[in-house]
Amino acid sequence: MKALCYNGVNDLRVERVPDPKLIGPHDVIVRVILSSVCGSDLHLLDGYVPTMMPGDIIGHEFLGEIVEKGPEVRNLNRGDRVITVSIIGCGKCQYCQNEEYSFCDNSNPHPQFTEKTYGHACAGIFGYSHAFGGYAGSHAEYIRVPFADTNCFRVPEGVTDEQAVFVSDAAPTGYMGAEMGNIKPGDVVAVWGCGGVGQMAIRAAYLMGAEQVIAIDRYPDRLKAAQLKAGAEPLDYTRVDIYDALQAMTGGRGPDVCIDAVGMEADGFDTGAEYWYDRTKQALRLESDRPKVLRQMIECCRKGGTLSIVGVYGGLIDKFPMGAAMNKGLTFRMGQQHGQRYVKRLFDHIQRGELDTSYLLTHKWSLDDAPEGYRMFKEKNDNCMRVVFAP
Amino acid sequence: MSLDSFAGRVVDAPGRLLGGRSDDEHGEMAGTVERWAAMLGGTALGVAGLRRGDWAGMALAAVGGGLFLAGAAGMPVAAPVRERLRDLGEGLGEGGLDRIGGGVAGLIPSARREPTTTQSVVTIAAQPERLFRFWRNFGNLPKIMDHLEAVEIESEKRSHWKAKGPGGVRLDWFSEIEQERENELISWHTVEGSQLPHKGQVMFKPAPGNRGTEVRLTMAYHLPGGQSGRAVAKMFGATPEQQVREALRRMKQLMEAGEIATIDGQPSGSRGAYRPVIGEK
Repeated sequence: MKALCYNGVNDLRVERVPDPKLIGPHDVIVRVILSSVCGSDLHLLDGYVPTMMPGDIIGHEFLGEIVEKGPEVRNLNRGDRVITVSIIGCGKCQYCQNEEYSFCDNSNPHPQFTEKTYGHACAGIFGYSHAFGGYAGSHAEYIRVPFADTNCFRVPEGVTDEQAVFVSDAAPTGYMGAEMGNIKPGDVVAVWGCGGVGQMAIRAAYLMGAEQVIAIDRYPDRLKAAQLKAGAEPLDYTRVDIYDALQAMTGGRGPDVCIDAVGMEADGFDTGAEYWYDRTKQALRLESDRPKVLRQMIECCRKGGTLSIVGVYGGLIDKFPMGAAMNKGLTFRMGQQHGQRYVKRLFDHIQRGELDTSYLLTHKWSLDDAPEGYRMFKEKNDNCMRVVFAP
Repeated sequence: MSLDSFAGRVVDAPGRLLGGRSDDEHGEMAGTVERWAAMLGGTALGVAGLRRGDWAGMALAAVGGGLFLAGAAGMPVAAPVRERLRDLGEGLGEGGLDRIGGGVAGLIPSARREPTTTQSVVTIAAQPERLFRFWRNFGNLPKIMDHLEAVEIESEKRSHWKAKGPGGVRLDWFSEIEQERENELISWHTVEGSQLPHKGQVMFKPAPGNRGTEVRLTMAYHLPGGQSGRAVAKMFGATPEQQVREALRRMKQLMEAGEIATIDGQPSGSRGAYRPVIGEK
């Protein structure tokens, strides 16, 4: 089959690889119909995640049809049209039982990496480096899904492929970002980053009762989508001072909830000295993640407010304003999505017309053009929000 | 792994960054890498030692403090340590960071421990009864211990263990159950004449808050010369620590998820060597 393989920093190639086969008894093989790029892939491609190997197939947000199933798969059948949550749960450990699937104890075949660096092993993720299990990803014609009963979900009738594919990752990640904010009616929510996850977080915040959601980014098309499709008040950080603007918009209180949908490669969130300080340290490997968004959220958030972090961080940050965070009594919530917990809710919202996911898909390309697709996505050319590959 | 290579690993990234001076080169003043290594290693040792809290721990902490100061002052460290190691005629055990406590204790002759004891613990979401039953049938152990080919039960107490190491080296021994407390504990030891005398003990304890069972596995190898860790590693391709941790991890996966997660056999692109591509742009 064809697959998009990592070959080195920002070096992607479409290669001919063997078809996947069933390995574990709970596996299925999915024929991929749609597979989306994700902002978090860019961290891998840029070389900030050290356990990528040449030949790794990337991609973790996908929809497809089950073509084979293992002997112990109970709830799924050949021909089912399914989405698969990008973070793999075994379904049986204490964490999965608590619906905290991204903490799964058993789905990562290479737990040593995160055990050493994070203190405990994290769940496996499709196409997301060997620290997260080394599972082959979805930018391919077929993909093997382990523990399928836990991770695959049939797409309901009436939900299109283009809507459903983002229930794999962007929609549950954004939704969880809003949920961790513990939003109460009347709350003002600020969302940093208006990519796929940010857009979903905005919409989810409204669904949870937010009075107003403010969206922060620099790309006009993304801000426009946040405004027109998700109903946010847009702020372009290259034009206004974010702290001043947020205080002005909240009667000087600051947002009740701040959501980070950017993560460790906050580009140009400040074009000044702070950006270059972090960028330099990151390039020298003295600091792996650029925490500009975090610092800004801590400064802007109201006293006693909540910071919800779904943008991905991988390692260390520097100059973290702990004093401000402590004395303002901020609550930090964060984590990789527990997508399995939200799939049903998200499909319900989509079916009732309360959540539109399909506008994230701005480009649908052949898998053959995937390296170019990633380049466009990375450079955010052609108003690209998400390229989705159809093998 | 020697202390040098260990130190080299700790400072791998800064080492490259700060001019790529290898820790094999050292002059009157210690190189940047060596200083980094000493300071980082010293800090790690100090912390590890203080955590232990006993006399050996205090010794470690003292060594750590000394290393840190040496690093800060730019004193050469790698060469004297290397010589010391040569004098002792033994290196440190395999295993890197997690072995730091035991490994450095080996620098001090009086701290040579015999036997080598290693322990690991994991919480499994299952009742003690089920886990006890699984373990009590030693025939199950090859499922969770990579180096075992088979364990044959010869009688209520006695079993015949067959292992294979790297390069197909075969090894077998007989074990006897020493102690058994229903759903709580099983201990066993090799019978006399074994090439690899050792004892094992597994304990099952209900975890608080309905979280399942804490399973604690202890292995003690009695080999002459305090070389147990290395000898075992040589025979099985993994240190005793790794083996014990891995066994518990596999048991947990098997008991909870019903399979051991793996990516062996999945497809990948070319691992390194360039292969023709379809749609390179």
